[in-house]
Amino acid sequence: MQAILDKSKIILLLTTLLFLSSCWDQREAEDLAYVIAIGIDKNEDNENSVRITYLISNPEVGSAAQEGGSQEPPRELISFVADDFISSRDLANTVIAKEITYDLLRMIIVSEDFARDDHFIRWIYDATKAMELKRDIKLIVSKEPTTTFLQNNQPLLETRPHQYFEKILDTGKEMGTTPDSRLYQFFRITEADADLFLGAYASTEKEEKKQPRTNPQEITAGEFEYEGESNVTQFVGSAVFKEGKMIDALTIEETRLAIMLNPTLKSGNFIGTIPDPFDEKHRIAIRIESASPLKFDMKLKSETPSIHVTVPLLLEVLSNHSMEDYQEDAEKRDMLKESIQEDLNNKFSELVKKTQEEFKTEPFGWSLLARKKFLTLSSWEEFDWMKTYPDLNIDVSVKVDLEKFGRQSDLPRIEEIRD
Amino acid sequence: MEQSKQVIGIKEYVAIILLMISTKLTDDTPTILFEYINNAGWMAPIINGIIAILPIYLLIKVVTNYQDKNLAEVSDHLFGKVFSFIILLPTLGIAFVAITIDTAIYTDIIGTMYFTKTPTIIIYGILMLVCAYGATRGFEQIGSVAWTVFPYLQFSLFFSLILTIGQGNTAFLFPIMGDGTWEVLKESSLRLSIYADFLYLFLFFPYIKSAKVFKKGTWLALLFITINISVSMICYVVLFDYKTIMQLNYPYHEVIRTISLGFMVNMEAFFLPFWLIASFVRFSIYLYINAILFGHLFKIKHFEYLIPSLATLIVIIGMIPESPTFTIFNIRDKLFLIATPLFFFLPCLMWLVAKLKGEFKNASNIRQK
Repeated sequence: MQAILDKSKIILLLTTLLFLSSCWDQREAEDLAYVIAIGIDKNEDNENSVRITYLISNPEVGSAAQEGGSQEPPRELISFVADDFISSRDLANTVIAKEITYDLLRMIIVSEDFARDDHFIRWIYDATKAMELKRDIKLIVSKEPTTTFLQNNQPLLETRPHQYFEKILDTGKEMGTTPDSRLYQFFRITEADADLFLGAYASTEKEEKKQPRTNPQEITAGEFEYEGESNVTQFVGSAVFKEGKMIDALTIEETRLAIMLNPTLKSGNFIGTIPDPFDEKHRIAIRIESASPLKFDMKLKSETPSIHVTVPLLLEVLSNHSMEDYQEDAEKRDMLKESIQEDLNNKFSELVKKTQEEFKTEPFGWSLLARKKFLTLSSWEEFDWMKTYPDLNIDVSVKVDLEKFGRQSDLPRIEEIRD
Repeated sequence: MEQSKQVIGIKEYVAIILLMISTKLTDDTPTILFEYINNAGWMAPIINGIIAILPIYLLIKVVTNYQDKNLAEVSDHLFGKVFSFIILLPTLGIAFVAITIDTAIYTDIIGTMYFTKTPTIIIYGILMLVCAYGATRGFEQIGSVAWTVFPYLQFSLFFSLILTIGQGNTAFLFPIMGDGTWEVLKESSLRLSIYADFLYLFLFFPYIKSAKVFKKGTWLALLFITINISVSMICYVVLFDYKTIMQLNYPYHEVIRTISLGFMVNMEAFFLPFWLIASFVRFSIYLYINAILFGHLFKIKHFEYLIPSLATLIVIIGMIPESPTFTIFNIRDKLFLIATPLFFFLPCLMWLVAKLKGEFKNASNIRQK
């Protein structure tokens, strides 16, 4: 018996060894080409295939290994036509020496043209099939073909591509200039078939100037005008997806409002400007922060179904170009507060109206709250959120709490200086 | 039993049951429940936990009446040799089918989620080799291994669930009643057999220190398992929403691929080893159960020598189904439906016969082999 035990012990040890080395799936980090982002474009010649672009990161850049003085670039790009982004891996290996892997894939970038295509959804669902693809990778919509987008994107300081994208998307999410756009959210919203999905929207090509805007935040990708020595890529606003297909784009302001109206998203503190009630020419810079969770009053089963949303906001006034003496005059503060409330109310109502009339459903995640009002799935599906939403009586009211007036609250009166 | 007396205490016993049944939350059991009960799937383990109290209570009543007999011997005693054989043969059949399809599922999980290029036969072979080795070491050894690894496994599950809740949205649990109260009750109770393993636990009765430990351990385990499974299922819904979850093959593995902790995005590498250990312990016990039953039915004294051949047989049969993800999913669902009446009515029948025979009054029937 003892001999058998000893023998089986040896066998066990050997088997664990086999397991640890996992012979068939063993891959050395050195022998792999890490794809950081996949770009997918429509193939104009054949609609059953797509153009795939790989952004491959050079892991040596920025690490200690580079100190030997190698002058390798931080990234490699390859673009070609393939049937899908699963089979495209082997094709790319005809050019790329190392084995292509999606282990560190962080982004799928699709061109707007492709995202607006009816067949887009067929390709994007390939992401649920491949073993290494994770569900929390990001979905980005580029205004131009992704090949151009990735080629134009030349960050000057954050040269390692994965670092650049991670940083810019994180900051964008923090500032509310782009939404947090994850693939699993896209799948979930598409499958639940009730809400709209907001994806990050980016461009490397500036649009021709249309008309001067009064509000600098009413821009989407490609509309931000800047000069200087920097990267050409801009992440501005969001791409709206309905039923797995892109239908429109939202500006920065609309994106922020949508984030603020969404109870499932944590809104950061957004800095923006609104018109000055005391002088039409000027705009006041404000920092908006949500004061407490949104309050909802949903009456969905009544004759005229209605939703009443209260948005409690904390506000900080950061500029005062009309140079009013807010700290002394409570009346002026009240006027300011009322004017801000009115302005925000109008903006929210406009956005809600736009979603009801143009999109026919909302990107605010409200259907999740509406679900709570129903006891069974069948009654919820019968209610059919997408069908009822456009006719709902929606009323958004903002409750502003004026917090601070900047570091130095008082300013000299302009009349006194210029007398 | 011919084997030298190996006795385990309450810690090891509870750890064994938890590893045996709780690991079901990591395979496709949740998917089967969600498939039929939609977003209220998480209620099924609770409802079934409550229903399972009755058969378990009756069985405890009957089996603890005889101090040194396991379920099979009690059944021999109550029904007589012939009837007992007729009852125990399907019980063995279900146990064997269960281990075969469950190991096939686990092999499929490893093959599709982690080692895509490794041939199935190798994964299957190694899995069964380790489990067979574990099972031949005997019940006591399995118990002490189970207790040693249990805290780590529970912690890793707990940790993954905390990360999941942090990234999910509780609104996905609504509408709370899913397809309606009646549907939920019906579809859940039809799948009562997710707890059928409890029936087989009574085969281990002579190995447990005392009847008191056995009773206490069984109830404790039932409570913990119910909590474990339904909390995990809630977490799955909260992360994915029910529409998505019905399409996932193995929710737990999708969960650990989705969650991330700060800069660590590939968390599955952390959770995989824990899950593998849990699976090894689980199938070791399953193999052992099969061997005990087989040995009892066909009068094989040293049943532990059966284990290697059983393991080989399982690998051969388990390799047969084509596209196992779907086929086995269906077979498994059928098995749940078939095993449910056995799990529910066998204890009732045993209790009834014992009652009619007046076994409960007769305390002197201890050791009357």
